[in-house]
Amino acid sequence: MSDPDCIVFVIDDDPLVRDSVADLLDSAGFTVRTFGSAADFLEGEHPDLPACLILDVELPGLGGLDLQAELTKSGADVPIVFLTGRGDIPMSVRAMKAGAVEFLTKPFRKPELLDAVTEALRRDREGRLQRSETSELKKRFGTLTPRERQVMALVVTGLLNKQIAGELGTTEETIKVHRGRVMSKMGAGSLAELVRMAEKLKISS
Amino acid sequence: MPEAAEPQNDFSLDPSIPAGAASLESILCTEELRQRPSRRPDHAQENAALVALASALAESRHAILEVLADTILRVTGADSSGLSLLTSDGATPNDEGQRFYWPAIKGMWSEHVGGVTPRNFAPSGEVLDRNCTLLFRHFERRYLYLLRFSPAAEECLLVPFYVRGKAVGTIWAMMHSDRRKFDSEDQRLMSVLGQFASLAYQTMGMIDDFKAQIKAREEAESRLREMTRVEVAVILDGLEAQVRTTEEFHRVVVETASDTVVSIDHGGYILFANRAATRTFGYEPSELIGQPLTVLMPEYLRDLHKAGLKRYQETSHRHINWQGTELIALRKNGEEFPVEVSFGEINSDGSRVFTGFIRDISERKRAEEKLRESELNLRQMTETIPEMLWGATPDGSVDYCNTRVLDYTGLSQREIQGAGWMKTIHPDDAENVEQAWARSVESGDPFYFEFRGRRASDGKYRWCVSRALPLRTSAGGILRWHGTVVDFHDRRQAQEDLRNAQAELAHVNRVMTMGELTASIAHEVNQPLASIVASGDSCTAWLAHEPPNLDKARAAACRIIQAATQASETVQRLRALFKKTTSITTSVDVNIAIEDTVSLVRHEAQRNKVVLRTELEPGVPSVRGDRVQLQQVILNLTMNGIESVARLDHEPRWVVIRSANSNTGEILISVEDTGLGIEGEQADRLFAPFFTTKPQGIGMGLPICRSIIEAHGGRLWAAKNQPRGAVFHFAVPVTAPGA
Repeated sequence: MSDPDCIVFVIDDDPLVRDSVADLLDSAGFTVRTFGSAADFLEGEHPDLPACLILDVELPGLGGLDLQAELTKSGADVPIVFLTGRGDIPMSVRAMKAGAVEFLTKPFRKPELLDAVTEALRRDREGRLQRSETSELKKRFGTLTPRERQVMALVVTGLLNKQIAGELGTTEETIKVHRGRVMSKMGAGSLAELVRMAEKLKISS
Repeated sequence: MPEAAEPQNDFSLDPSIPAGAASLESILCTEELRQRPSRRPDHAQENAALVALASALAESRHAILEVLADTILRVTGADSSGLSLLTSDGATPNDEGQRFYWPAIKGMWSEHVGGVTPRNFAPSGEVLDRNCTLLFRHFERRYLYLLRFSPAAEECLLVPFYVRGKAVGTIWAMMHSDRRKFDSEDQRLMSVLGQFASLAYQTMGMIDDFKAQIKAREEAESRLREMTRVEVAVILDGLEAQVRTTEEFHRVVVETASDTVVSIDHGGYILFANRAATRTFGYEPSELIGQPLTVLMPEYLRDLHKAGLKRYQETSHRHINWQGTELIALRKNGEEFPVEVSFGEINSDGSRVFTGFIRDISERKRAEEKLRESELNLRQMTETIPEMLWGATPDGSVDYCNTRVLDYTGLSQREIQGAGWMKTIHPDDAENVEQAWARSVESGDPFYFEFRGRRASDGKYRWCVSRALPLRTSAGGILRWHGTVVDFHDRRQAQEDLRNAQAELAHVNRVMTMGELTASIAHEVNQPLASIVASGDSCTAWLAHEPPNLDKARAAACRIIQAATQASETVQRLRALFKKTTSITTSVDVNIAIEDTVSLVRHEAQRNKVVLRTELEPGVPSVRGDRVQLQQVILNLTMNGIESVARLDHEPRWVVIRSANSNTGEILISVEDTGLGIEGEQADRLFAPFFTTKPQGIGMGLPICRSIIEAHGGRLWAAKNQPRGAVFHFAVPVTAPGA
C-alpha cells in the first residue's frame, strides 16, 4: 500500500494531531509533509508526484472546505481526506459533493485512515494518467486544420461521408481525404477510438 | 408731548395763533382710530409692562416716568414716546403750571427730553381742554414751533395723564413715518398704562410725603428725648442726693424690687410690705401691715413657723436655712404656690426686725416639672421602643440596656453590665466583637459589628448587628456611647436563600450556554483523543517493525501522554462550569480565567469565522470572587459577541477580550465585537430579564451576568463599539491587601 513515489500532505493546526497522523502514516511507509495552516500549504512546494491531502476541516483562517474550493478553482485536482473534530452531516455532505475522498471524524483508527489515503492516492494516480492522456490528445487535435476539426466533429456523430459533404457543401471525395488525415493525425485506429477521443476532448459538433 | 421751544425758560406765553398755522380740524384725525383695523390685545405683553411699572415703584417718581415712556414705546411699537407734564419752573410737575415740559422721552425723539411747550397752544393743552385722547397728524403744520424738532411727527397719539384725579399732562406715542398707524388697541394700552402709572406716581408721592413726615417726627422726638434726658438726670441727681442720706433710699430700692419684701417684728407681725406683695400675694401692702406673717402661709406651715421663730429668738438656732429656702406660700385667693425665701435680721432700737425676700418660683417649678416629665418620657420611650438599646461609659463599660435587651438575652440589668453581655455572643465571634468594640472605644469611630448572639427564648444563636455612636461634648470628648442591637437573622437567611437561588439560576445559564457550545466542546475533546488513538496505532506499528523502531514508538507514547493530559485539563474546565456549586470566594487571576474561557469557545469562533483575540495586561492584580461565576460572565459575553458577528456577513469579524488595571482599585474587563451592535432602544432593555435578540435565546444571560458582577461589588455596562458592534465592560474590585 505504501509507495515512496507518493506524497501525503497533512494539514492540521493542532501540532499533536498533526504529528500523530504524520507518524502513523510514516509508520505505514508513506512519505509525509505536514503544514499548520492552509496558507502554509499553498505557499509550500508541491513535487509533481501522486499525492493527497489530509485536511482538518476546522482550520483557523482559511478553513478546510475553503482550501478545497480554492484548489478546485485553480484546477489543482488533488484528492482530499477530511478530518473533523465534530462531524456534522451538512458539512460532510458539502465536502463529499465537492469531491472529497473520505470524511473521517476524530478520533479514527489506523485502518480507516490508511484505507482513505490509499484510495486517495489511487484516484490521484488515475487522474494524473487521465490528465496526461488528455493532454496528448489535445496536442494531436492541435495539429488539425480548421476544416479537419469540422470534419472530425461531424464524423464522431456517426454521419456518413456523403452526409458530411452535404453538410459542409463539398464533395464526398474531399471529405474522404480529410477523414483519412484526421484518423492519422489523431492516431485513431478505428472510428470507435476516435469517438472516445472526442469524448475526452469534449468535442461536439 | 411734542411741542417744545428751545429757549425753554423764557418761553412766549402769548396765546395768539401765528399766521399761516393750519386749523385744528385739519390736523386732528382721532375719529379714524375707531375705523382703523385694530390688532388683538396681547395680555402677556401688557402684564409684563405693568410689572415693569410696578417694579419702578421701588425707585423714584422719575423712574416711573422713564419706565412709562419706555413701556409705551415697546407696547405700541411707536418711533418715539414720552410725557408732557404741567410745570411752573420747567423742572418739576405742578398742575397750576402754565407750561408743559418733557420729563421723559424714549425713541427717536429722546434727545429732545427737557423740552417745553405752552399750556395754551399745544397738542397736550388741547388734550387737557377736551379731557380725551387725541390723534394728531403732522401737528407741526399748526404748532409751528414743533418744526424744529426732527424727525417730523407723521402721527401723534396723546392720552391724558392724571394725578389725584387732576389731569396734569399727557402721555404720547409718535410715528415718524407711515410704517404703521396707531389703532384703538394703542389707545387702550396707553390708557391702561397711563392709569397705572398715575397710580404709581401718586403712590410714590405719598410715600415721599410719609418719609418726610417720619423724618420730621423722628427729629422732634430726638429733640424731646434730649430734653427729657437732661431733665430726668437733674431730678435723679437731686433725688439721689436726698435719699442717699435717708432710709428713703432703701425704701425706693425695696419698693422697686420685683421680689416681695416683708419685714416682721419679733412677734411675727408684719411691719412692712412692698408693692411687689400685691402682685405676688394679692394683698395691698397696707392690708398686710399689722397682720401676722402666717397669713402668707398655708395652714399647715403656720405652727411650724411660729415654733421656729420662737425657738430662734430663744436659742438663736435657725430651724431652716435663711438663704434661698424653698417654701410654700399662700395667696390672698387661697392659692398655694412655691416660693424661695431669704431672710435677714436687723436689730433696731433693741428690738429685732426680720426681713424676708420672697420670690415666686411657680414658673421655675413648672419648668423643672416639665423637664422631669420629658426625662420620664424619654426613659419610657427607651423602655417601650421595640428595639434593643444600650449605653456605655467612655471606657466601653456597658451601663445601661433597655428591657428588650434583657428580654432577648435573658440576663438581668446587673448581669449584663460591664462586659457581662459578652456571655451571650457565640464563642466563635466573641473575640472579634470584643476587639472591634475595643477599637471603637479607643478611636471613637462608630461601632458596627455582625455577630451571632444567643436568644434566651429558644437558646439559639441568631445573627445580630450592633451599632453604636459616641455622644460627644462640645469640646469633642466622648461623654458616653449609645448603641442598638438588631436581630437580622431572618433577613440574612433570606439573603442567603436568594444567593443560592441566584447561584442555581447561574448554573442553569451555564449549562444552557455549554449546550450551545457542544460542537466546540466536542472538538476540544476529540482533538486530543484523535492524537491519542493515532499515536497508539503508530506506536504499535513501530513496535511491529523488524527490528522494532523503539525511538519512534517512545515518541508516540510521549504524544499519547501529552494529549491525554490536555484532554484531562479540558474535561476539568468543563466539569467546573457544569458543576452545581454554591458560591465559593477565592482569589481569582482574571487573565487565567479569561484564557481558560477562551479555550472553550475558540473553535466556536473559528466555526463562525470570527477572529477571537485576547489583549491582557500582564500582571493585573487578582480579584476576590467566584472563579466559575466570573468565567461564566466572560463566557456569556464572548458567546454573545461571537453570535452577534456570526449573524452578519461583513468584515471585519472579530471579538477582543481585554483586561486592564484601572489603578483605582478595579480590574476592567471588556469584550468587544464587530457584530450587530446595540440599537438605542435595546440599550435600555439589554439587562432586563427575558429580553433577547437571539432566535434561541431566553434573555437571561445578561441579567445573570449583571447580578453576578454586582454580587462581586462591581459594575457591568454596555456601549457602542467603533466603528461597529458592541462592547461590554465590567469592573470588579481587586482583592483588598491582606484580605
